[in-house]
Amino acid sequence: MLTIGKVAASLQVSTDSIRFYEREGLLRPAKKSEAGYRLYTEEAVRRLNFIKHAQQCGFSLSEIRELLEIKGYDKACCNDVYRVAIEKKLLLESKIKAFKAMSQALTKLIEICSHDAKPLDACPILSALESSMAKRHARPKRLPHSDGASNR
Amino acid sequence: MIKVEAFSSPGCGKCAKARDKLKAIIDELGQDRVSWRDVNILEELDYAVDLGIFSPPAIAIDGELVFPALPSPSRLRAELVRRLGKSR
Repeated sequence: MLTIGKVAASLQVSTDSIRFYEREGLLRPAKKSEAGYRLYTEEAVRRLNFIKHAQQCGFSLSEIRELLEIKGYDKACCNDVYRVAIEKKLLLESKIKAFKAMSQALTKLIEICSHDAKPLDACPILSALESSMAKRHARPKRLPHSDGASNR
Repeated sequence: MIKVEAFSSPGCGKCAKARDKLKAIIDELGQDRVSWRDVNILEELDYAVDLGIFSPPAIAIDGELVFPALPSPSRLRAELVRRLGKSR
């Protein structure tokens, strides 16, 4: 049996993280010693390694919980894990796209700035942000899309 | 010509069976009026993300995500018939 300190050291995580995973229902000690210390098996170390690696791949705790459930379900197969991985990849790619769009918008703002000591009311970045907000408010509201909207 | 695109990940047996049933509708409506394209989501990830697909299988019609999950054959048929009626 391993103490929480040994488990933490073996995978370079903090003991607080291990207690946090326990609160989240992801990792449980096999038992507690008479003095009340948590004791873990090698299986817990493997499970912790799995959690750590999954987090590095961008999986959230609830997604890791789902993966662990699949792992423990006899009737599950590789395709079930594959589906979760593809869904995660799609989500990450869409976030990357959104971040790139944000970065490009910032590039445009940075380019229009002469970065000198003008007063704030002459700041081109602030005025560009204000004018884009004004444009957004002035834009007429779109009518709800009737085509296939009920299917979305 | 209406363009139907079916997005799925490779190796999905269930998707393949369901797709075959949906494809039959294209044959029924006429391949000169409706086209069908199988899209491997891993090969066209950018396009899938642009359409807002987060969980394959899904179906886009004319470049728009219409069914985020595979519809029943009758729902797909109804949608295509509606669109064909509009385009006349």
